[in-house]
Amino acid sequence: MRTRSRWFGALAILTILAVVLSGCGSAATPQVVKETVEVVKEVEKVVEQTVEVVKEVEVEVVVTATPDPAAAAAEPVTLDFIFGSEPPTLDPALTEDTTSVWVVEQMFLALTDYDDDTLEVIPELATSWDVSEDGTVYTFHMRDDAKWVQLVGDEVVELGPVTANDVVYGILRTLDPTTAAPYSYVPTTVLVGAEEFAFADTTALSAEELQALRDGVGAKALDDYTVEFTLKQPAAYFPAMTSLWIFRPQPQATIDEFGDRWIEPGLIVTNGPYLLQEWGHGSHLKLIKNPLWYDADQVQIEVLNAPIVAEASTGMAMYENGEIDFAGDPGWGPPLPDMDRVKADPVLSTELAILPRLCTYYFGFVNTKAPMDDELVRKAFSYAIDRQTLIDTLLKGEQVPANSFTCPGIFGNVGGDPEVGLLFDPEKARQTLADAGYPNGEGLPPITLMINQSEAHLQIAQAIQAMWKEVLNVEVILEQQEWAVYLETLKPDSPDEDKPHIFRMGWCADYLDANNWLADVLHSNSTSNYVRFLNPEFDALVEQAQVESDPAVRADLYRQAEIILNNDVTAMAPIYFYTRIDLTKPYLNRIVNPLSMDHVWKWTIDWEAKKAATGR
Amino acid sequence: MAAYVVRRLFWSIPVLVALLLAVFLLMQAIPGGPFDFAGERSLPEAVIANLERRYGLDKPLHEQFANYLKSIVLEGDLGPSFRQRNRSVNDIIGDSFPISAQLGILAIGLALLIGIPAGIVAALNHNRLPDYVASFLAILGVSIPALVLGPVLYWLFALKLGWLPVALWGAEKPFFLGFLPMPTAKFIRHAILPTVALGTGMSASIARLTRASLLQVIREDYIRTARAKGLRERAVVVRHALKNSLIPVVTVLGPMFAAVVTGTIVIESVFGIPGMGKYFVQGISNRDYPVIMGVTLIYAVILVLSNLLVDITYAWLDPRIRYS
Repeated sequence: MRTRSRWFGALAILTILAVVLSGCGSAATPQVVKETVEVVKEVEKVVEQTVEVVKEVEVEVVVTATPDPAAAAAEPVTLDFIFGSEPPTLDPALTEDTTSVWVVEQMFLALTDYDDDTLEVIPELATSWDVSEDGTVYTFHMRDDAKWVQLVGDEVVELGPVTANDVVYGILRTLDPTTAAPYSYVPTTVLVGAEEFAFADTTALSAEELQALRDGVGAKALDDYTVEFTLKQPAAYFPAMTSLWIFRPQPQATIDEFGDRWIEPGLIVTNGPYLLQEWGHGSHLKLIKNPLWYDADQVQIEVLNAPIVAEASTGMAMYENGEIDFAGDPGWGPPLPDMDRVKADPVLSTELAILPRLCTYYFGFVNTKAPMDDELVRKAFSYAIDRQTLIDTLLKGEQVPANSFTCPGIFGNVGGDPEVGLLFDPEKARQTLADAGYPNGEGLPPITLMINQSEAHLQIAQAIQAMWKEVLNVEVILEQQEWAVYLETLKPDSPDEDKPHIFRMGWCADYLDANNWLADVLHSNSTSNYVRFLNPEFDALVEQAQVESDPAVRADLYRQAEIILNNDVTAMAPIYFYTRIDLTKPYLNRIVNPLSMDHVWKWTIDWEAKKAATGR
Repeated sequence: MAAYVVRRLFWSIPVLVALLLAVFLLMQAIPGGPFDFAGERSLPEAVIANLERRYGLDKPLHEQFANYLKSIVLEGDLGPSFRQRNRSVNDIIGDSFPISAQLGILAIGLALLIGIPAGIVAALNHNRLPDYVASFLAILGVSIPALVLGPVLYWLFALKLGWLPVALWGAEKPFFLGFLPMPTAKFIRHAILPTVALGTGMSASIARLTRASLLQVIREDYIRTARAKGLRERAVVVRHALKNSLIPVVTVLGPMFAAVVTGTIVIESVFGIPGMGKYFVQGISNRDYPVIMGVTLIYAVILVLSNLLVDITYAWLDPRIRYS
């Protein structure tokens, strides 16, 4: 009896607590307030012209939300999707991963951009650019109506124009050795003084010496809206490079004030189509339309609402449950085990889209390690890989068998060129191995294939292992290592004894030029040259292509380089060109970009249809 | 008792320091450093050197460890995250630990709520149908991994029946007392599936333990005495047998509690819950030394405290156990 009454008491208290607390909960629910923003806009589309600069005087314009009773009831047009992982940063200087790049693209403008269809470099902040006669000085003329904007609570605060000084500050901060930005090495090959500054040992330098190095970088603001870059040598791909996040203007005052935390909501100052409203770390991001962006009237989607979900199959379930509007970057496309079902499903199959992704999956041979130092052995192993069967039976994402390293979509690529690369040919494979002195695989020492731990890589490796057994009669030993250990093993300066004979690797485009592939990965001095491909002829070709300005000549140089790489030397066996596999609800009109730098501001939602479909 | 608790807490300090030192040295021993790569690519030496200077990794190891301890003791600062510059390890733990704790406590609660009654029913009906049913379910519960159970649950209750959301967590900061969420409908709807997925396995092992232990206790002389003096069967079981048989259950609850409130990566990633579990794995794969140290330290502190609580509970469960 005593016990029971005590239980009842506890229950009663719990119930009361629950009622009280849930009451608090509903009272705290934020109300949706539609902002009507009045901005006096001078829409003068200046496209290919430099602009007379009128210095703006007033800097702080506070745009207050005027609650409109009619609009208050309507929910803003919201895009629901997921991130596959938390973006490690939103700082353009520090960004190195695709998730961060995707978000940075929504919030920060670059001098140049890519056309979603043609992948040509098009103006963004820069309206036009000129190149000096010798091809080493690039002058970018910027538009004058881009603004720095901060979102404080619900208040959109304007913090002045985006100027050439912000561009120069951005690149200098990226290069600054005290910033220690992972991508700081990218401009060092092209920009004057960048290498000296970025790779400086700060412990050995005085403040003045460091300042002198900073001043030596070939990035200068000629006036408020003109920025000039001086290059070490002509580089026709430079305008493509300026679309990179590391070249984007950064807000100095904010960064100076808040340090590393400047990218947190409430502090972050941006200039692109969307503003960061919430960033629940590990949990979700919420972006809202920037009403002060110069093309804001073309932006239909007002809210981007994206939780972080680490599991692809959970993402798929959310898509099928109508909780998200698309399944794909920056979240998850349909997982491999679901692909057959998706293709067979009458509804899902119509929502499926397979598009190229600018990445290549390859097997590298360690060219300095016997017997892989024999090009005939390498050729035999490459000929023996049946890429199409691998794609049809295992990958199922309409990937394309790769004949070259640089993938289609990149300037200078030779994807699909019948004269480049070795494709599946079992007869030739056996013959070549016999020519190398190992008929029917006899006499070949044990060959190891190493991959980093991952179910997907393991399946591919096992399939190819079986092909080598079948075609060449060679038993290949499979080894796996955890990613960081794996990279340590493969590092160009690690000893060859520790390395496998063959390994798997991938490469994705930073910018759309073969320089980012052939020179950045396979030049003999590249830190990513895991294959130990040291070919002076190849080096000379890619160096020549760097400085050549005639596109036709450049393309031919890259073709010659690919032929050396794949046909003559066969330093690697490219396996396939990636695809991105997406599911999109019919009410969402989505334009995707093979670089995963989607322009969400161009997307539209049939809002009534979405409301009907999701029952919201 | 108070003196005992203070002494135990005092002695846990060298244990924690030794643990941190072991983790610190082990981290250094794994090949690959935190800045060797960015995403899929290797970084040049000069960039790695810049990054190492920035985080003080260019200093000798003993100095690094001393600085680390000093900032914990003097400032309560667990250091920066190498991967996320805008967040410190304190931020990471502060954001994710309360959510893991919420899920962990709910799951332990569910596990006890199911496990103990199921164990009692099984024991009292030893070798009869309810025992077989309960034992079968318990084996099922122990053997189905959360990785399977989670998707099965959301497939059934979200996709097919449409009753509950597939994933995500329904509570956000700020929390009451730092970790208690508002029990809103949203919170409850989102909490049900992960709680069940995480609690089921634990309830099964609790049921098995309770059953085994109760079966043993019920054969003791003092139970026979209690029955002989004419006590009702219910009083015999609840007051005499159950209380004693809970000692093994409580013993496993300590480590179990520490393990689940610090986050379980499988459940958290299946249900998209922003808990602490993933940092144990991510911290290591990223070689994010301060994150590894920080989450390990939290785990260790919780483990020390819950084991202390277990020992105190012993004294209450078994009057023969006394601490002085």
